[in-house]
Amino acid sequence: MASVELKGLGKRYGEAVAVDNVSLLIGHGQLVCLLGPSGCGKTTTLRLIAGFIEPSTGEIAVGGKVLSSPQRTVPPEGRAMSMIFQSYALWPHMTVAENVAYGLRIRKMDKATIDAKLTAILSTTKLEPLAQRYPGELSGGQQQRVSLARALVVEPETLLLDEPLSNLDANLREEMRFEIRRLHDRYRYTTVYVTHDQAEAMTTADQIAVMNLGRIEQLGTPKEIYDRPRSVFVARFIGGSNILEGKAVDAGHISVAGGTLATTGRTLTKGEAVAVSIRQHEIEIATKSDSANALHAVVSRQVFLGAARDYTVVLDDKTELRVTASPTQDIAPGQEVWLRLPAERCRALTGGNER
Amino acid sequence: MAVADAKIPRSARDDRRRLIDLSGPALAAVVALLAVMIVLPMGWLVVYAFATKDGQATLGNFVTLFTDPSFVDPLLATLLLSVSVSGLCCLVAAPMGWLAARTDMPLARTVRTLVMASLVTPPFVGAVAWEMLAAPNSGLLNQLWRLVTGAPSDEALFDIYTMQGLIFAIACYTFPYVFILVANALDRMPGELEDASSMLGAGTWATARRITIPLALPTLLAGALVAFLQALNQFGSPAILAIPAGFHTLTTKIWSLFQFPPKPELAAATSLPLLLLTVALLRSQAAILGRRGYAVLGGKYGAPRPIRLGAWRWAAAAFALLVLAMPLFLPYAALINTAFSRISSQLLGPETFTLHNVVFTFWQLSSTLPALQNTFLLATATATLGGVLALLIAYIVARQAVVGHRILGFLATSPLAIPGIVLGVGLFLAYTRPPLTLYGTLWILLIAFITVELPQAYQQLGSAFHSVHPELEEASRMLGATRLRALKDITAPLLRSAAIATWCFIFVGVIRELSAAVILFTSETKVLSVLIFDLKESGDVGAIAVLSLTMVILTTVVIVIANRIGGAYEARVPTRVGA
Repeated sequence: MASVELKGLGKRYGEAVAVDNVSLLIGHGQLVCLLGPSGCGKTTTLRLIAGFIEPSTGEIAVGGKVLSSPQRTVPPEGRAMSMIFQSYALWPHMTVAENVAYGLRIRKMDKATIDAKLTAILSTTKLEPLAQRYPGELSGGQQQRVSLARALVVEPETLLLDEPLSNLDANLREEMRFEIRRLHDRYRYTTVYVTHDQAEAMTTADQIAVMNLGRIEQLGTPKEIYDRPRSVFVARFIGGSNILEGKAVDAGHISVAGGTLATTGRTLTKGEAVAVSIRQHEIEIATKSDSANALHAVVSRQVFLGAARDYTVVLDDKTELRVTASPTQDIAPGQEVWLRLPAERCRALTGGNER
Repeated sequence: MAVADAKIPRSARDDRRRLIDLSGPALAAVVALLAVMIVLPMGWLVVYAFATKDGQATLGNFVTLFTDPSFVDPLLATLLLSVSVSGLCCLVAAPMGWLAARTDMPLARTVRTLVMASLVTPPFVGAVAWEMLAAPNSGLLNQLWRLVTGAPSDEALFDIYTMQGLIFAIACYTFPYVFILVANALDRMPGELEDASSMLGAGTWATARRITIPLALPTLLAGALVAFLQALNQFGSPAILAIPAGFHTLTTKIWSLFQFPPKPELAAATSLPLLLLTVALLRSQAAILGRRGYAVLGGKYGAPRPIRLGAWRWAAAAFALLVLAMPLFLPYAALINTAFSRISSQLLGPETFTLHNVVFTFWQLSSTLPALQNTFLLATATATLGGVLALLIAYIVARQAVVGHRILGFLATSPLAIPGIVLGVGLFLAYTRPPLTLYGTLWILLIAFITVELPQAYQQLGSAFHSVHPELEEASRMLGATRLRALKDITAPLLRSAAIATWCFIFVGVIRELSAAVILFTSETKVLSVLIFDLKESGDVGAIAVLSLTMVILTTVVIVIANRIGGAYEARVPTRVGA
């Protein structure tokens, strides 16, 4: 096992920039998620790490050894990595056992070793009864487990996963998330996991790298990313945030929609345009103005969801906010309310133009 | 059926009832028509095969077939020919298909286009051209060789009038089928299947050996069968090359049994094994391609990464172009040379250039104009009537409009398994007698051509219908359109390009058809292909070259038009048997 380091990695296709100056250090045995919308460059980054494509700039080093640079790229087969493909890429002409044992055969192991390893991994992935089936005869979840087994049995230095769960239905997806984390905890391979699903990233990752327009927008633990988004993009992409746009009045306050809010996150410069994020459940709805950091609004819609009520309210400057409130708090549309926005939850963001 | 029924009331329920009322008779009519076209001739074929000259039941014809050397030899020759062609085609087409589909070979697109272009050449035209190139005495390549080496004038490097020559000439125009099958299969094979192997440490060659080749193998096997069938059922090339070489294949043998004195019972008996073998091979081909274990799984797949050949890139391109010289560059050079040269065995130059052959062919040769007229008339009529018939059947089957639609689909595809020459024999036997004495008229050729072209036309239109999801029609009907209105507003516009493309392909197919026509023509009903074949007897190579080029140009123009409109030539390529 070894660390994987990306240094100033870039990939251009003619004029189009797919990956733009990405630097990232993935420590031994860590699981890092590249998270972002389609077209953000996460899959290209993964395929660069795998060695399927060559970088235009920068380099990739594994365990201190440079594997990819614009001058020289070690081919995929020389990298001691494993990959799980979005389509699983199971070979339809081989049985489950043949698929899984393929990497061991390529490594020219003797039959006894191959059999032992095969038995062990099939048991870990609960595939023993299916060993002689062909991939075409398996369900989606079973195919997924074969593809995991095939990747893990060779004990790779690095494991790459490309949207591995996107072809599964919702229930199975949830189950496999925990399965992937379980196997990772057991084997501790350095892992890069590409996904566009926030919940998937939250469940599996040690670190999340949120990508946008070919760059890493923010890197941090799932909690950091969730609690302290740095940019408008991250705030919006990770779990429903409201964005308020206002103007800084001093280092820690902005004026917005006729009121003033104390903010946290960074020191503001007086007069600059500032975007502030606050999550839906962090806002409190009140019928009278009795505290600081409160804004006047009108309820435009509310939906009873059982465990909560989902409100849409409109500020005086016509900004719409979503608020998750207690199910017992029933306020009719059209009524005037005061929103309490706790200062420690109003995060001032950078990069106000990209969303 | 529905087309005739234009003044129906607006009410949808009424509309449906009318349609079902009509569908029974419509089905019966189509089935009867197909029976006249297919079942009746094949029925007579079987009857004749088991009858003596006087109409007594006998197995004597088959005893002759399997004991008389003049029948056993063609049978063996045909098997040798088919196996060799099949092997040669795979040997050449598999690596070439792989190079074009999976590597960074330069000019890969050009190579693919040229392979398609070589399919446009009717095989018998190719055989004629190879005669001009490699006949022992007059062949251009042999003359060149004698010129270069100073060998005596009775020595020849190549002799096309041999079994090897025939194998080569047929393989030239058969390997494209295998190439297209292999290249398309490799195109469709998800690149991730190879990527997954690379990730697990397999190098380029290990991946090719363990993943790519095993996955492509069923396709190659199917390609081998297609090549085998082509060689088995081809009439033109063996007639041109094998007969001067002094041997027969089954198809030329059948044809010779219609020369004076005609022996139709023996011809019928010889046709049956050919028919049965073709059916069996087509069935096994379908079985191979349909095997479940090889079905590639669903999911999102990336495009394959091309394999880098490095220094071998240009060697690969040179190999591909060298192969293409055989069906394309050399034969067309020979045809053009012969068409415009004063003496066909001399190389074309400023002094030897002449338009004499063109003038002679179009203004002096009395049979050219009638043949062209017949060809155009038959091609237009076949394309129009056959297209409408195919459209009707495709609609009934795709929308399952009536009970028994499966029978229709089966009947419409069954001519695929009938070699052209066998169909010719069957039609001859069925329509030289009352109540329908069609022999000697253009009608019998029309029936033959429609039958030959129906399977492809039906398959092409059938898949077009499948691509128009019934919900598209249903959505229109939910908004108040009647069934007919939905057909007119939704389905017809979506199918228009497919229908036009089908029309063009039938047209081209008719222009190229030789093996059925050669049995059924009379002096009044010659078509272009038969004329070229006939001119062989008189040895007028200049006119042959001009007519061949005319045919190819005509074909190319129509195909280009069809492709512009949006039909895919591949759709009909792999299934055509015995041109």
